[in-house]
Amino acid sequence: MKILLVGMNHRTAPVEVRERFAVDDPLPWLQKLVETPEIEEAALLSTCNRVEVIATARNLDSGRHRLRAFFHRELGHAAALPQHRSQSAVLYEHVDTDAVRHLFRVAASIDSLVVGEPQILGQVKDAYRVAAEGGACGPLLNRLFTSAFAAAKRVRNETQIAARPVSMARVAVELAGQIFETLADKHALLIGAGEMIEAALEALRGAGLASVAVANRTPERAAELAARHGATAHGLAELPALLAAADVVLTSIGVDRPLLDAPLFEDALRARRRKPIFAIDLGVPRNVDPAVNDLDDVYLYDVDDLGGVAEANAEERRRETVRAEAIVQEEVERFHGWLSALQAVPTIRRLRARAEAIRQAELDKSLGRLALGDAERQAVEALTRSIVNKLLHAPVSRLREQAEREEGLAYLEAAKVLFALDDPSAPGAGADGRDGEPEES
Amino acid sequence: MAIELHQLTAAFYLIAGLAGLAGLAMPRARFGRAAPWLLAAGALVHGVAFAWLHTLPHPPLLTHLPSAVSLMGWLAAIASLVLLRRGRLAAVAALVAPLAFLAVFFASVSYRDLEPTPPADAGSWPHLHVIFASAGLALLGVAGIAGVLFLAADRGLKAKRPWRSRLPSLEALDRANSMALAGGFPLLSCGVVAGMLWTQGETGALWVGGAHAIWSIVAWAIYLALVVARFVAGWRGREAAASAALGFAFLLFVVIGVGAVA
Repeated sequence: MKILLVGMNHRTAPVEVRERFAVDDPLPWLQKLVETPEIEEAALLSTCNRVEVIATARNLDSGRHRLRAFFHRELGHAAALPQHRSQSAVLYEHVDTDAVRHLFRVAASIDSLVVGEPQILGQVKDAYRVAAEGGACGPLLNRLFTSAFAAAKRVRNETQIAARPVSMARVAVELAGQIFETLADKHALLIGAGEMIEAALEALRGAGLASVAVANRTPERAAELAARHGATAHGLAELPALLAAADVVLTSIGVDRPLLDAPLFEDALRARRRKPIFAIDLGVPRNVDPAVNDLDDVYLYDVDDLGGVAEANAEERRRETVRAEAIVQEEVERFHGWLSALQAVPTIRRLRARAEAIRQAELDKSLGRLALGDAERQAVEALTRSIVNKLLHAPVSRLREQAEREEGLAYLEAAKVLFALDDPSAPGAGADGRDGEPEES
Repeated sequence: MAIELHQLTAAFYLIAGLAGLAGLAMPRARFGRAAPWLLAAGALVHGVAFAWLHTLPHPPLLTHLPSAVSLMGWLAAIASLVLLRRGRLAAVAALVAPLAFLAVFFASVSYRDLEPTPPADAGSWPHLHVIFASAGLALLGVAGIAGVLFLAADRGLKAKRPWRSRLPSLEALDRANSMALAGGFPLLSCGVVAGMLWTQGETGALWVGGAHAIWSIVAWAIYLALVVARFVAGWRGREAAASAALGFAFLLFVVIGVGAVA
């Protein structure tokens, strides 16, 4: 049985391509897939950054063709993949261990556009739930997804991959948390009314500040923005009073020279009995005189400072990614071990069947010649069974152990040759336990 | 047995301190979270050790420096655990633990050399003096540690290299500093008064001078100025943090430095 993964993501396909392949409800598509003889089990993951199908197939080539055809002719609403790119560049394809690793990396948010973003695990879980409830998942994918969730959980718990925010507004909120014990009783002042201010408004509102004031040159713009986000609107003339009440000040406004200078902050600090102020200057040119940072109790961060923190966070994420990859590798190997052990099952069954058939045949032959009572008959039965079991115990347990390792396949092959398990004329060859058991192909 | 209990306490404090410091340095390390529990376990054993000492036929006098220092370590551990319950102040406990370890270690080593002490008969003032002064010192020590952490965090934020660890917020540290000072200064004052009454009981005069007495009054006056600056003049932030740290360093010198020399 082969594990196959075919799909596209933010690196291989631009959004105008991905959006044509995105699906809201994967179930009908999955049912179409598993109805075809080439595909055994399948799950479909469709997010804004990726569309992927992971499936199991008895045969690699036919399975691969089926999945590619699925993307080319069915999923994209018959929209051909763009001509200007070679198809292979848009669609990637992973087989077996690579497919397993890819799914684990996706679930652990290593493959995400923003590494460490938390949503992807939920999306993978949803994809699995839909596939499982729709009957598209079998034992292999069940185990595969369970392992992927375990890997993602370990990455989340054992690394700092998602611990540090990388967006400006969220970095600002994180920094505020290093200055203030709680934001629930803090007041924010936003100066300006552009996109930056709007993004900051959302982030600050999400952080649960007590109140937010918006001040702008044209108060109408401020009023409009304030109304939308439950803030109060002010003109720039009110700045000194607003500053005295503000614990967090965030500015992004077009100015020729700094709007807020050190004396203004000094007055504000005096008025607020030196309660600290966290000032974030997102303006270019800068809105706040850099000398303000020299004042005690004011912490001034400009775009570059915040960018530095965000970059340090991103750097930390990259470092953590290395640790995360190592965890994924461990989990891939663990899954591989399970899969390999599974491969030993048919061989072991055939081996047992062969031994049992021989025992039975020889027993029948001998019992026909001997005139034994019931008690003796049972004793001979037990004796032969015990001999067979003892003889088989070591090879069977060794096969199980070795199957989890790299070189396990060689042992399986050796067992087949030594015991002539592939010989159809040998006794017991019919009962080889082929039904439903994955095996190497 | 009392010495073994002290050693066990010291071990708990030491491990708590190491775990706490490691937790500060490596925020992802889970053992950082164990630090408060280890500190609490240490404080519990420490309490048992005190009780055990008390049952001895000739317990070491509380007025001896090792006992007083050990008591101080115990109270500081308890104070930092109380703060911990009130805010994210694990970092304070992480720094208190090593100090508590030193105190108990010093005590357990010193007890070993102690001759059985004859029962002293000086009334309850000596005990009250040590208990109040130790409690005051413990709290002022916590204030000083919160001050040191405040300065470190403030420096990092000003330099645009915010601490990438679990340091408490500046606000929380400032509050811890203020709370510990508000609790510690009255206790220290009571300790000074009890000390004077003890002197009066022994000599008939409230004031007979001596290095310990003079330096203690200086330290007390410094803290009085600090309390006035903080709670009347509205000092906060860096000045308050730095003066709490310096004040405690001076106080340690007075109690241990001058005490050891004396």
